Amino acid sequence: MRRFRRWRRKYSYFLFLLPALILIVFLTVYPLVRVFYLSFYRYNPIRRVERFAGFANYLRLFSDRFFLTGLKNTFLFSVGATVTEVLLGLGLALLFNVKFRGRKLLLPLVIFPMMFSTMVICAIWRSMYHYDYGIFNYALRSLGFEPVKWLINKDLALWSVVLVDIWQWTPMAFLILLAGLQSIPGELYEAARVDGATGARLFRHVTLPLLRNHIFLALLLRSIDTFKIFDKVYALTGGGPGTATETISFYIYRQGFTYFNMGRASAAAVVMFLAVSAVSLLYIRQVWRGEK
Amino acid sequence: MSPWKALKIAKRVLFWCLLFLVMAVVLFPIYWMLITSVKEPLEYATRNPSWFPHHITFEHYREIWKEEAYRYLLNTVLVAFGSTLLSLGVAFPAAYGLARFRFPAKFDLIFLLWVLLVRMAPPVVLAIPLYTTLQSFGLLNRLTGLVIAYQIYTLPYSIWMLLRFVRDVPMEVEEAAAIDGASRLRTLTAIVLPLVGPGLVATAIFSVIMTWNEFIYALLFLRRPEVFTLPIHIAHFITEYEVLWGPLMAIGIMSSLPILILSGYVQKHLLRGFAISFK
Repeated sequence: MRRFRRWRRKYSYFLFLLPALILIVFLTVYPLVRVFYLSFYRYNPIRRVERFAGFANYLRLFSDRFFLTGLKNTFLFSVGATVTEVLLGLGLALLFNVKFRGRKLLLPLVIFPMMFSTMVICAIWRSMYHYDYGIFNYALRSLGFEPVKWLINKDLALWSVVLVDIWQWTPMAFLILLAGLQSIPGELYEAARVDGATGARLFRHVTLPLLRNHIFLALLLRSIDTFKIFDKVYALTGGGPGTATETISFYIYRQGFTYFNMGRASAAAVVMFLAVSAVSLLYIRQVWRGEK
Repeated sequence: MSPWKALKIAKRVLFWCLLFLVMAVVLFPIYWMLITSVKEPLEYATRNPSWFPHHITFEHYREIWKEEAYRYLLNTVLVAFGSTLLSLGVAFPAAYGLARFRFPAKFDLIFLLWVLLVRMAPPVVLAIPLYTTLQSFGLLNRLTGLVIAYQIYTLPYSIWMLLRFVRDVPMEVEEAAAIDGASRLRTLTAIVLPLVGPGLVATAIFSVIMTWNEFIYALLFLRRPEVFTLPIHIAHFITEYEVLWGPLMAIGIMSSLPILILSGYVQKHLLRGFAISFK
């Protein structure tokens, strides 16, 4: 009894963490274990099938044209969107690093797009992309160009979705990079100027090296986020035309919740989780260093 | 005029042109939503949509009100506030515990990093087992079920945010309270809580924004129209009616307005808010 009391006093602070711990285990540890388990089963809750399948789900996955296309599209989407967003974000940050009148007023406006619900944004862009009634094609026609099949052309659809992501999330890269620019002490620039550096050289030899960590962080966070792309595909193209905008998240959604092919969906989920975790670990390593 | 000065003026002009271009690209879609919501159908469902509305009408707003879109609004409010309250209630003591105590075997650090990994993980990965779990508890198609599922987003996020705010509270304040004989729990509620108040508010606002806009879990776990949240309602609207843009944009504005107002309060926390644990 006394030992219990002493133990209780020693570890009572665990109680602060306990509710969060229970929720996290229940909502993340258990489902992850379960999804890993299911990926080795043929499991269809509608047809009430559940039997061990070994690696069959994984083998099937990598011979499934839809999954492979999804993998390719996700990769293209993620790289295309991330690189563009960080580059544009850098440009924007340089623009807003200049002190000008009205800066305080315009800054919140630039960040606007990332506040909107993705569905609202998709509604707007879908109406602007519309082949007949959309404003883009109207502008093209009045300038004498051919209208463009933004979401219907299978070579273009993915990039039209990328464009929406760029519009919505460049502000995020911008915020990170602006914070980076503002953390560079002004004396460094003065010192470099005294040494005769100007314009491009100043940027190349002072700004960029000091901004390296922030650029890395922006690339990391945006690539992790874009890799999960689901909602824009759902609302703008539905994965089409054909398989032109099929992505991994969308593939898992369809296998799991349209065909109830839970085993294969779980296998795809495990693959996706491992891929995202590999990149996340880079980020987590940085945080780990910061915590220590 | 010296060439030096001419160059300076040219630079200035270029700067303002660039800035104007940027603002136009950023704001045009929002402007488009605004004017489409007050246009008559003849002005937007046409090959020559107008750049400015000729007749301003609030017909679409009346229409969505009549079609009881406020029910989706109410659902969204309930889910967003429910998840936020639950998260803060659980995350605040957790953040306090993690900030103030050393756990054995680096348990605190492992917990924090695990939570971070979870936040980075694709939501769809957890969706399959969550679906069956919610089903077995009878929580599918229930707002309560969604509130619980949303803890996957809001809890890791709140723990990390609040951890930073709790760490900013000086230890001496608490020690003074302890000397005065206050218990741990009392210190937490009477001393620490008021001091992290502004941090709690900022965290709450971000959590509301996050859950207000969330799409995928709402899509998967709410299949009956009575329980739809706004994003799901909009998604159905987009995919079912090809060019009914007037009411669609009116709903879009109605669902964005509260978030835009809230975001005004957290401008200075934006970076912390969207890129957690970043300093």
